Amino acid sequence: MDFSTQLTLFSTRFLGIFIEAVSFLLLGTIVSGLIEVFVRKEDIARFVPRNLFAAVAAGSFLGFLFPVCECGVVPVTRKLYQKGLPISVGVAFLLAAPVMNLIVFASTYAAFGFGPILIGRFVITFVMAAAVGLLFSLQPSPVGLLQPRALITMAGGSAIASLQLGAPQSIFGQSLMRAARVATDEFFDMGRYLVMGTALAAGMQTFFSQEQIRALASDPSTSVVAMAIMAFVLSICSTTDAILALSFANFGFPAGSLLTFLTFGPMVDIKATLMYLSIFKRRIVIYMVILPLLMSLLFGIFINLNVRF
Amino acid sequence: MLLLGLYLLETLLTGEIAYYINERFNWLAGVAGFTLLALGVINVIALLSEPESSEPAARAAPELLMSAPRVTHGNTARWHALAILSAPLIFGVFLPARPLGSAAISSSGIAFSLNVSSDQVFSIAPTQRNVLDWVRAFSASTNLDEFIGQPADLIGFVYRDARFEDDQEFMVARFTVNCCVADAVAIGVIVRSPQAAELSADDWVRVQGKFEVRDFLGQRTPILIAETIERVPMPERPYLFP
Repeated sequence: MDFSTQLTLFSTRFLGIFIEAVSFLLLGTIVSGLIEVFVRKEDIARFVPRNLFAAVAAGSFLGFLFPVCECGVVPVTRKLYQKGLPISVGVAFLLAAPVMNLIVFASTYAAFGFGPILIGRFVITFVMAAAVGLLFSLQPSPVGLLQPRALITMAGGSAIASLQLGAPQSIFGQSLMRAARVATDEFFDMGRYLVMGTALAAGMQTFFSQEQIRALASDPSTSVVAMAIMAFVLSICSTTDAILALSFANFGFPAGSLLTFLTFGPMVDIKATLMYLSIFKRRIVIYMVILPLLMSLLFGIFINLNVRF
Repeated sequence: MLLLGLYLLETLLTGEIAYYINERFNWLAGVAGFTLLALGVINVIALLSEPESSEPAARAAPELLMSAPRVTHGNTARWHALAILSAPLIFGVFLPARPLGSAAISSSGIAFSLNVSSDQVFSIAPTQRNVLDWVRAFSASTNLDEFIGQPADLIGFVYRDARFEDDQEFMVARFTVNCCVADAVAIGVIVRSPQAAELSADDWVRVQGKFEVRDFLGQRTPILIAETIERVPMPERPYLFP
């Protein structure tokens, strides 16, 4: 294959992933802008349960309230941190929300029906997200974990600032303008991670062959590893990965391996990992990749070896 | 940002967007395009009116002063972001837009059957079925012999790989796209024709013929025996959307 063919292939894949993902990122940044302007710190403090376990569980299920996929969840989480959301709750939300929402429920149901894959996907995601969230609660000080940018609380308690800036009758309009500007900032900030991640994912798809990975389908443990690698490399949106998983089932991948793909992929993939860097310090991002990886591998292998459907 | 919004809308208008994502997400790209435009306009207005408004604001709200150093230092970061974000634009505008073709298959393989259990396809008249419908029908069928003699009328691109030893055989292939091209899966129907050698990879063809069941790589496989093959222009929507 000559270089120009490869370049066009790369370009088509790159733009395909980008066009799809940028729409979701934009939705996320707009939600984030609205949170900045209309949600106060006290609201967050009031709604987060006192009990640690309850709080982390609530974080895992928050996705049903904010229907965002893995591109949109990053700006929303960062904004919630700026509003004082506890680290552990945010981590649980960040990891679980791409799966824990109605859109993903619908697409998984469409692909696999109501059965072990659907239930397994949601249960395993919840367990993994809650476990990582609880682990992060051991380090309650956000300073050690977050990027400085994610810590800065933007000036002004929203409504108060705009009250002083504009005429009283246009407070709402002013707030909307401010939300738009916050959304723009976030979009530029996160957009570069998205572009880099998309380019990497498209490059991997273009320059590496998937055939070797598919050849691993028959073995109960290597097929799980293969699915985890696929999930990481492909970086497809969690709202549609169920349908792709169905085509892997076609190549002979067993249920446990598919569950690894369906639980690890939405939490961690090339573009999500790069976007996490806009919230967390590099060391923490490594934990956030490795912990879900190990857990989803264990779940996948265990199911392949011990559970018969 | 304005430009990015314009680009999204432009791909929608020219129909090039069909090369990249499933059409049921077109509205999303449209919304995103308009939102980007709106945000771009708001920011231009805000930038133009900034000199007048920023000073009294800083005096009125002391905490705004604290964010002032961040703004200047944020400027270089912003230029970085701008440079990186313009990459998709550069790719989109300066490289010719081309859908995936034969070259994309070699790295991901091609499927003869899909694990999509759908009996609905049998309610479609044989000559109305596209490549995807046939592949689904083959997968759902328990007895391949039922396809013998059925007429088909298919449009797709020509695909061959090392497995095709007989130069009278090739595949009329399509990509299916669920979300965007990242999840593209190639599917195809095997065609047999004495004309096959004249066709080169990626030619778009319309094949009419009848099915027979023959051995292909040691497996009983429905093979379309072509009666006519004509070259056609690439369809406006090169991918099939399941």
